[in-house]
Order: sequence, then C-alpha cells, then structure tokens
Amino acid sequence: MASQFFAYFNYRSIKFIVLAVLMLGVFTPPVFAIEYGGIGGRPAFPREDNPRTESIFVHTVEKGQVQEDGVRVVNNTEETKTIMIYGVDSVTSTDGAFSCAQRADPQTGVGTWIELEKNEVVLEPFTNEVVLFNINVPDNVDVGEHNGCIVMQEKKSNHSEEKSGIQLSFRTGLRVALLVPGDIIRELELESFSVTPRDTGDGSFFLQPKVQNTGNVSIDADVRVVTKSMFGTVHEEHGGQFPVLRGELSTWNFVLNKPFWGGWYTAQPIISYDASNNASVGVDTGGQLTVIKGEPVKFFSPPTLFGLIIEIGLLVVTILILFMIWISYKRRRWMRKEWIEYEVQDGDDIKQIAERFDISWKLLVKANKLKPPYALGKGTKITVPPKEDSNKQ
Amino acid sequence: MLKNYLLRRVNTMAIFMIALFVFVAGAMGAYAASTSNFQLTINPGTLAVDIVNGSFTTVASPSVVFSAATFSFSCSSTTGTLGTSSEQIYVTNPDAADAGWVVSIAGSATTAFWNSAGTDMDFNDATSSGCGDGADTDTLKGQLTVNPSGGTIAVGNCASCSTTSVTAGSSSAFVEGTTDSITVLTGASGSDDIGDWTLQGVALTQTIPAEQPAASDYNIDMVLSIVAS
Repeated sequence: MASQFFAYFNYRSIKFIVLAVLMLGVFTPPVFAIEYGGIGGRPAFPREDNPRTESIFVHTVEKGQVQEDGVRVVNNTEETKTIMIYGVDSVTSTDGAFSCAQRADPQTGVGTWIELEKNEVVLEPFTNEVVLFNINVPDNVDVGEHNGCIVMQEKKSNHSEEKSGIQLSFRTGLRVALLVPGDIIRELELESFSVTPRDTGDGSFFLQPKVQNTGNVSIDADVRVVTKSMFGTVHEEHGGQFPVLRGELSTWNFVLNKPFWGGWYTAQPIISYDASNNASVGVDTGGQLTVIKGEPVKFFSPPTLFGLIIEIGLLVVTILILFMIWISYKRRRWMRKEWIEYEVQDGDDIKQIAERFDISWKLLVKANKLKPPYALGKGTKITVPPKEDSNKQ
Repeated sequence: MLKNYLLRRVNTMAIFMIALFVFVAGAMGAYAASTSNFQLTINPGTLAVDIVNGSFTTVASPSVVFSAATFSFSCSSTTGTLGTSSEQIYVTNPDAADAGWVVSIAGSATTAFWNSAGTDMDFNDATSSGCGDGADTDTLKGQLTVNPSGGTIAVGNCASCSTTSVTAGSSSAFVEGTTDSITVLTGASGSDDIGDWTLQGVALTQTIPAEQPAASDYNIDMVLSIVAS
C-alpha cells in the first residue's frame, strides 16, 4: 500500500512543486492593483481642515489674489488615453443642480479665472498625473461664492457624420468653489412643496420640495420629506444633504413607492442648514441648525393589489364577526323574553322537540343547558320558542 | 523489506524538510531585511459616468437612436430612450465625491443642432414647443425634451450599496440660454460614498417641425457630465 502511494507520487516532483511554490511566494513581490474604470480626476492637494477638499476645490480668496492648486488626472482604463483638462463656468442644471458649462460655450466667470499648467495629458493605463493651476480672482468681483469647474474629458477623433441619433461624450467635472470674503448672507426659503402621482403607472408619487437660496453663498442643506400614515406613524423618510447654489431654486424629486396598505398619508418637508456666517462649503460650525418646516400635504393612495386583498379579507371577517355578535345578542334576547315553558311528554326526545318547534336541536340544547346524552325524562320542563311552535303541536 | 523501505524514506523526507525549512527561513529573513513584506497599490479612483452593456463593459461609441418619423406637413415628434438594458447609464463613485454628485446632459454647445446633409434641426428652441423658430441665435426649429423621472435606478456591481439618496431628475426641455443642462441623476451626500449605479429608461422626445425634410442622417453631439458638487 505504501509502496503504491509512493509509486503514485514521485518525490522528486513533489519536492520540485513545493520548492517552486515557496520560491514564488517568497521572492515575488506581491503587488496588487485595485482599480475602477474610467478617466477623471480629483483634487491633488486636499486639506485636512476641510474633508470636502478631497472631492472638490474649496478656497477663500481675496479680490485680486491668486490661488494655486492642482488636479490629479486619472486614467483607470486599460488603454492609453489623451485627456483634455479645462476650466469652465458653472451652470445650473434643472432642479437647481450643479453642473459645468460646455467648453465650446463662452466663459465669463470662474472659467476664465482658471489657468492650467497644461490642457492635455497622455496617460498610460492605470496612471495619473498632477496638473497644477492658478485661479486668478479679478479685482471687481462680488462678495460671496463663485463657482466653476475643472473638467477632464477624453480627447476623441471626430465621430462619423453618417451615424444618426445622439452621439454621446462623457466627462468628469470637479467643482471649484471660491469664496470672496465680505458681507456673507446664508439664507434659504422653502418655495413650495407638492405631492404628485408619477406617470409611470405603478402608483408611486413624487415628493417635490423646492428651496430658494436667497443668500450669496451656496448652502449644504439637509432636505427631508417625512411621510406619515393616517395613524401618525412614520411611513417613509426621504432626503439627504444637497448643495443649494447661490441665488438658485433647487427642486428634488423624491420617489415614494405606492404604499402597501394605502389610505390617507401626510408628507411634510423639513429643511435644516447651518446659517452661521462662519460656515462654508465643507465646514459646519456645529452650532444650532436653522430648521424650516413646510405645511404637511395630505394625499390618498390606493393600496397595492395584495394589500387590497388582505384588507378586503379583514373587512369580510370583521363584518362576519359583527354579524355573529349581533345574531347572538338578538337570539339571547328572544330566548329570554319570548320562549315559553314546555313539559316533556312521554316519547319525546330532543330532536323531535326541536323539529316540532322548528329550531335546531343544538339551539334547544344550548338554551336549556342540556348535557350529553341529552336524555329528557317525562315531565322535565324546558323552554321552547313560542306561538308558531304551539300551532304545530 | 517494507520497514527498511519506510525508514529510508522517512530519513530522506526529514532531511528534505529540514533543508527546506532552513532555506525558506533564511530566504524570508534576507528578504524581510532588505525589502518591505508586501506592496499594495490602490490606484486613485475617479468619479465617472459611462454607458455600459449588461455586463458592465463600456459601450464603444454609444448613441441614442430615435424612432423613425415620417415626413409631415404638421409639427410632430419622435421618441428615443437613453439608457437601455444593453446601453445603460453607469455611474461609479469610488469614494471620490462623498458630498454628492450630479449627472447631467447637455448639447456639446448651446448653439449645437441636429446636423443633417439635408436640413438641420434645432434641439433647444422653445418657440411653440419646438414647432417654431424663436429668440435663439439660429434659424432652426425643434426642441428636445428629456424625462429621467420615469427611469429605473438600480445598484450596479456593489453588493452592499443601495439607491438611497439617488434620485432622477425632472422632465425638462432644452431652451437655449435658459435650460442648457438637464439633470439626469443626483446622488446626495447620503448616498453611498463607494458605489455604482445604473439608470435605464430616460425618455427623450424630439419635436420635429412641420415640413422638416426627410433624411436618415440627423445627428447631434451631446455630453453626459458627472460633477462632484
């Protein structure tokens, strides 16, 4: 047996394999790369005092001053890419969201203040490069926040004109938020709030709060909509923290799925933000938040099909129970007020008496509290229904 | 014979194991003395938007094709869908925009238009809902409406992520100088810091002006942007 085992495994081979594995494990530097696809960038020099600077560029700059910074341009694809880098103005997208102007459009704001070290980089797969830039703030700008973008976009050859439809390009933008110090106003107003059915046919609703920024800086607002059932319990809560840009009206479309049970619901918008002048993009003072509560909106939602079936079932059961209680009450009353005494005759049994008085024998037993085997001796007095039964006698 | 055989083998194995242990220990010690034990490279992730297929592979040259329209003496419309099961909008946020992000769509310029060898057509003229030519800088008619609100948002590859705080934008039409960018998808700060999401079913409707010449080559360049905000 042992000889078979050793014959099966050649020791020289085993030694070789073990050695090879160990050599690989010990002498090969274990290098791993965790990667995400796409091209883009992120701030090259985030500041510890403001975690937001890991995602966007945030600076306080006096009029006429220059701010230096850098963007790390990233190519996380498996191909060498030529990436364009450019500064543009910010634009307000629909719903008051932040977006970046197109490069082909004329720039009049922060887009013209950004001066990049280079406007194009060629990056090998899974490499990145820091591109420095200056932001030259003019002397004549308003106090408050000014926004722009630094955008990374792949440089592509012109598409074929013969292809019809929409030809899509993709780009990643990083917000550049510049605060010019002075008389800062941080103020939000709840413009309106509505609950409207979506046209998707699934019975869901849009919860749409609209918030106006009446100040001169953007505000990170905590926008929430609390939906409660008719019993006052919280059914669902939507929301999150969103930037409301300077002077803009922001709208959100929170989707409330069709409530399972249906019925009347109320939805109330609650907006909270740090109104302190010391707060800024990425910086909360930790003080008390200003809270704006909108008027609750009441709305009706039909239940889901399954919810409706359960509700109908519960309703039918409830009606049946109520009917049984009513019948029981009425019957007790009838027995108590109208039933008469009957003396059992020779040859009577419980079934015969019940048939004679046109009631069920079980009712007769119950009314007279008889016990099995329900034998009735001659002369025993029991109660029976009146009149009609007498006629039958 | 067997006993003798085994003894011989055990001896061989013991010698082999001792030699191997000394060798490995020595090698590891030498290696540890001169270098660090491991190297781990995490390439910096980046916020990105793309069009991918059902297997999350980038679709080369993605495009949106509209339903065929027929020449008409009256103003009409044609529809298309941005984001399908084979060409879905795909957002990745590898801890690059903790405070939120916005995906929006815009023409490559506010002065862009549907280009055709026949006659061009506008995408952002609001006059008579795109049926007329109005106040913008060109003399073209036509308007494109984007409705992301009926779209379906889903989590991509991230097993532990959710669509909480990720919302689709409202239905809006391009209006030159007023609505140059339309919000498609928004991730609030409450959305997952590390996550990926897909969006399908963004309805597009293009108004076709009356008597717009028939052609099969109408095309327009548009840009899908993702911005850390």
